[in-house]
Amino acid sequence: MADLTLPAELATPDWLAPTPNAAQTPLPEALHRALNSAAHRERWKYTKAEVFLGATHTAANLPQISGEQQPGIDLQQTTKPVPLVGFDLDQAPEAFARLCYASNILTIDISAPTTEILTLVHASSTVPVLIRVAEGASLTLNEISDCDSDAQQTIWIDLAANAEMKHSRNALDTAGAHWQYLNVRLQRDASYRLHNHVTGCASRRQDIHVLMDGQGAEANLISAGSVEGKTALDQQFTLEHRQPRGRSQQTIHNIVANGGKCSFNGRIHIHAGAAGTDAQLANRNLGMGEHATINTKPELEIYTDDVSCAHGATVGTISQEALFYLLSRGIDQGAAQALLSQGFLRQCIDGPLAESALETLIGGASVGL
Amino acid sequence: MSLLNVSDLHASVITDDQTQPILKGLNLTVEAGEVHAIMGPNGSGKSTLANVVSGRPGYQVDNGAATLEGSPLLELEPYERAQLGVFLAFQYPVEIPGVSNMEFLKASIDSLARARGEEQPNTAQFMRQVRELASSLDLDPAFLKRGVNEGFSGGEKKRNEIMQLLLLDPKLAVLDETDSGLDIDALKVVAEGVNRYRSASNGVVLITHYQRLLDYIVPDFVHVLSNGQIIESGDKSLALELEAKGYAWLT
Ligand SMILES: Nc1ncnc2c1ncn2[C@@H]1O[C@H](COP(=O)(O)OP(=O)(O)OP(=O)(O)O)[C@@H](O)[C@H]1O
Ligand SMILES: [Mg+2]
Repeated sequence: MADLTLPAELATPDWLAPTPNAAQTPLPEALHRALNSAAHRERWKYTKAEVFLGATHTAANLPQISGEQQPGIDLQQTTKPVPLVGFDLDQAPEAFARLCYASNILTIDISAPTTEILTLVHASSTVPVLIRVAEGASLTLNEISDCDSDAQQTIWIDLAANAEMKHSRNALDTAGAHWQYLNVRLQRDASYRLHNHVTGCASRRQDIHVLMDGQGAEANLISAGSVEGKTALDQQFTLEHRQPRGRSQQTIHNIVANGGKCSFNGRIHIHAGAAGTDAQLANRNLGMGEHATINTKPELEIYTDDVSCAHGATVGTISQEALFYLLSRGIDQGAAQALLSQGFLRQCIDGPLAESALETLIGGASVGL
Repeated sequence: MSLLNVSDLHASVITDDQTQPILKGLNLTVEAGEVHAIMGPNGSGKSTLANVVSGRPGYQVDNGAATLEGSPLLELEPYERAQLGVFLAFQYPVEIPGVSNMEFLKASIDSLARARGEEQPNTAQFMRQVRELASSLDLDPAFLKRGVNEGFSGGEKKRNEIMQLLLLDPKLAVLDETDSGLDIDALKVVAEGVNRYRSASNGVVLITHYQRLLDYIVPDFVHVLSNGQIIESGDKSLALELEAKGYAWLT
């Protein structure tokens, strides 16, 4: 594989200079090194990086926004946001590059508990979004991708002490090469919950990087994906516990059918000193029909004793026991298989965007039942 | 014509490396309106009989036949047998997270109706009926929203089997140790459910280890299954005799 390169020279904006590793080395060099580190190239093992890197400097629009007209929300388009704390260039050099290339950035500051849902709709590549939720404040965010060609969206979320966020995301569109980068930092006792509902598209890539950066933080990532026909989904989740007594739970169910290609990489990194951490990850994959390709890799790095950590990845087909149970009640083969695969995904579909996710992912909610 | 007729049934269990004969020439006839209890030592083939009749994968029929009201069963897919009227209450009911009990029951009742050319029940009416059935079996109707058998206690799972029996109203009910793991109150509830189901037009094959169940569901016949064959048949007094003496005197 040739070296990974960015499409154009770039300079570090002042506000990004304090970011770790952007400070010491000239930026192009730091980025080039980060992109081509062994660990980073591994993250691009199953998806061609070039088309994604090449698009990092394409023009971006504002997302369509609703629900911002309520007390406690302040939106700004700015070229000088506050520095990103905890964000590491080495982890996501392409996301860093996108910040550098961006002509401006959308900041959303949440200063109080909010009651209405804030909704962002991406119909194309959108400008980088920074959401800061102040101490004790709360936000429910719906994020919907509605693209029909190549697109990129990058979001940074910073949750102050005791802040709370519920984030629902539907990426059920037929985008081309679609990349979603999400970085979430949690400070002391903050809580974050993500409901991610996704289909494959020509090539969909979701990077999620969660930093448990304060004691007692709690993160819950729940994801349901359906990768059918000639589509692809590549999910790269990293969850770092940097402080004691954090709790994280990740549940990712993907159905891969009839030529679909799905990759999942779930890395949990528990730093020295993060005692009392409880980190759980379960990735379950269901292969259906002909020629499903599934790559799943659990990665664990633990540098503290006194942690409770479970990390499981399974690849399977429909349970024959469960199938026979349904058949024995007169439900025919096709209907029984459909019920079971729907049930498998439904376990991971919830939150305010659940209805449209159920509609797309399993063809209806069987209302009331 | 008999409701169920099993004649000279030979069947093997298929394991990874071999097939092992379990049923070795089993004969059983159940007429409409009858309850037949089947008892016998562990491993004698009771569940195998239930599984072969209902079509569970993993078994191979080597010889013999089984018919329901004269229709051959053994060539049919499991769902076709159920549509004809065979019902198996599982010894170990399966948990299916993500598929709610209500949704499962609706799918089942709709398939059965479709197969029989009947009209599918109206959803609201159906849900009311299911909730009433659940209450009558001391099952919290809130369970109906949960995944099939998900997180149910052993006793709740067995009561759920009986609820399905009452809802689907099959011609033939094969109950595989529906009494095991039940406390005394639950045993009465389950037995009452089976008695409610009984009618002149259907039949029950009741697999059990305990005579106690037969105090509540009084059988017309009691059979002893041993080493893949029925070696003794009698009326309900046979169960009492077995309770007192065990199986050794028969073999
Ligand atoms: N799936 C299987 N794989 C391997 N062996 C099996 C399987 N199913 C049944 N057997 C074997 O077949 C024999 C008969 O089993 P079966 O379950 O029919 O007995 P049973 O009479 O129902 O016993 P129990 O009273 O313990 O329920 C046993 O020796 C059992 O180990
Ligand atoms: Mg048994």
